[in-house]
Amino acid sequence: MANPRIFRSFTAIALPIRPQTARCASQRLAPVSIQCRRSTRASSSNSGEKRPKGPDTDSLPHVSEEAAATAKITGDKGPDIQQGTPVQEVIKGKKELHDKLPKVMQDEKSSTEPPSGTRSFSTVARRQEDLQTLPSTPSSLPPTLIPSSSLPLSTGVKFGTPTLPLPPQTHLKHRDDPIVQQVTTLLMRHGKLSVAQHNMSFILSHLRTAPPPKLNPARPLVAGHPPPHQLPLDPVMYLTLAIDSIGPLVRIRSQKGAAGGGQALQIPVPLRQRQRRRQAVMWILAAAEKRAGKGGTKNMFAQKVADEVVAVVEGRSSVWERRNQLHRIAVSNRSNVGYKKQPGRR
Amino acid sequence: LNIKKKERKDDGGRRPAVGERKAQRTRVVISNTNALNVPDIELMTAEGVVDENNVGKVMALPVTTVDSLRAVGAFKNTQGWKFFRTPSTLIRKETVEMARKLDEAAKGEAIRQVLIGEKKSGKSVLLLQALAHAFMRDWVVINYREARELTMGFTDYAPIPNTDPTRYSQPALTATLLTSIVQANRDILSKLTTALTHNPPVTLPQGTSLLRLAELATNDPDIALPVFHALWSELTYKPPADAPPASQRPPVLLAVDALAHFMRPSAYLSADAQTIHAHDLDLIQHFSSCLSGASALPNGGAVIAAMNNSDVPSAKSLNFALARAEAIQKAKKAEGEAVDVPTWNPYEELDERVFGCFDPAVVEVVRLGGVSKEEARGVMDYWIKSGMCRKEMRSKMVNELWTLSGRGVIGELER
Repeated sequence: MANPRIFRSFTAIALPIRPQTARCASQRLAPVSIQCRRSTRASSSNSGEKRPKGPDTDSLPHVSEEAAATAKITGDKGPDIQQGTPVQEVIKGKKELHDKLPKVMQDEKSSTEPPSGTRSFSTVARRQEDLQTLPSTPSSLPPTLIPSSSLPLSTGVKFGTPTLPLPPQTHLKHRDDPIVQQVTTLLMRHGKLSVAQHNMSFILSHLRTAPPPKLNPARPLVAGHPPPHQLPLDPVMYLTLAIDSIGPLVRIRSQKGAAGGGQALQIPVPLRQRQRRRQAVMWILAAAEKRAGKGGTKNMFAQKVADEVVAVVEGRSSVWERRNQLHRIAVSNRSNVGYKKQPGRR
Repeated sequence: LNIKKKERKDDGGRRPAVGERKAQRTRVVISNTNALNVPDIELMTAEGVVDENNVGKVMALPVTTVDSLRAVGAFKNTQGWKFFRTPSTLIRKETVEMARKLDEAAKGEAIRQVLIGEKKSGKSVLLLQALAHAFMRDWVVINYREARELTMGFTDYAPIPNTDPTRYSQPALTATLLTSIVQANRDILSKLTTALTHNPPVTLPQGTSLLRLAELATNDPDIALPVFHALWSELTYKPPADAPPASQRPPVLLAVDALAHFMRPSAYLSADAQTIHAHDLDLIQHFSSCLSGASALPNGGAVIAAMNNSDVPSAKSLNFALARAEAIQKAKKAEGEAVDVPTWNPYEELDERVFGCFDPAVVEVVRLGGVSKEEARGVMDYWIKSGMCRKEMRSKMVNELWTLSGRGVIGELER
């Protein structure tokens, strides 16, 4: 077995496998043997001249670079500097270097002597990429049974077949915009979905008929939104804009006792889009509940929510303050982002 | 178990004033400044409605007509007026037919119609178009706003002396009706003068304008009913052919939406704590006698009632009478084809007063179905142009939506 320490030091200078390894493959080497030594100076040689030189920075060039320079003088084709040179090529034919090689390579060298047998075929595993590009074998099935784009799919169908995949929102139960669906279910109380849907339709028609919002430059909305006078014509976008503009990017997770002294450590955790929207809607609903009523009507709650949505877009809502506060906490605790609970610690 | 009375949380807002909630609930908005202006929309005219080529077009109502229609309460807040820039309606095949019949009726022979049909098939809007056409033709239009309010028993009422069976007056509602007549027909009423002498309390010299007559009671509910009857007798007065123009009488359109409320026992109670039938209320009796043909309209005109299919009380006798009248009229048209005429269940009591109102020879039953595909295309084009619908219109989409809406039931299409 190879010494793990030596192995580790060896792989530190290793390059990933190159796609073009014809020479290496022809030698039928094990994975270790095709590692290459990176000619690190090749890429940094141009920019190195600009740097101020220290007393001992002017060292000898790499063997491959030296060989390339020699080949240029003599007019031969030297090694490709961009590719790097396999270690095996460097030590090839240099018996005196054999003793100085790491033990893995010494063992490897003895095992990679050409085999004495007369096997006429290669036993090297075929690479996956080659397999994938193999032409498919012709099928013995009759052509009518093989699905093909040339055959009309709609034979025997009176109105033709729908183009697949079906566009989103064609399913009866998911026909609404995703955000409308999410907000509707968040509006729902006591499992009364149809009441929630009624409220949602009230909110959307209020957004459609209310005067266009006056934007507040101090409260920037999501970038790339349409101008405010166009918003009432697309109430779903109006609602989406309000929700996405105040959706927080993170939540704060409190890890008990992790800050030392029994104090909780506040860890910012990123949220997915749906989670962000949910938080934004919950904030809007909470703010709407606190609004003063304008004389009771049947749709008073929906009226309050609709007013709050407009207030969010106009930057008047208290939800903005809430969001900014959360982001401030998250930024001040940003060093805790990678925190993982230590095993064995409570 | 916690049976302690919960303390009501005060939300900090002020309590609504008396009537404020209702005002907010029934508020009708007929314009939306956010909606796009449809540039090429035509203005509805009396001649345009009669023209068959305009079927499938959406036409905007003229401003004066809109004011009159508002005054008679033709717009409902359940209809989608609040989404568009100006109130506009689709001219459909039935609209043209209705307008032509109204023009015929102006010549002397009054028509009596009941509009029936599926939910959201456009009965109320067709009634509105009939009202609009009548306004544009300078008719006198009387629309009984909310049929429900007349029978729900929320307003004052009193037995009318010397009537048998006892009839009841509804002073406040009569005054409201007179107010809406005055507001909607101000121009035409001011041109006409009284030709008859009336009994007290209506004391006006002959030759006073009808507007003045109607205005007598707008602020005085006590004399509202006599004034209403005086006004009606003036409107149905048949002047001699050589009478001056001020004594000539225009046709009258009498209309009501949600007819079912008029054709069943009302919520009012008599002195014996018995339910009062809606036909014992004088205002409703007036309408039903006009509808049944018992009261004539000698100067021409029309009586149109629309049925209402959502949030209506059950009126079995009415439904039976309408179904029977429709079947008989269908059989008459088909000539020879067998048509099933429904029969009444003998174990139930038939409301004879209601049934008697709908003589198939007098009252025409008009059934409204869905709009045609061309009409659907026209109205969807209007929705797209006003920015309501953000889709590209293709004939495939029109067909799909037309089918999905139950073969063009307009209200379902609107969803």
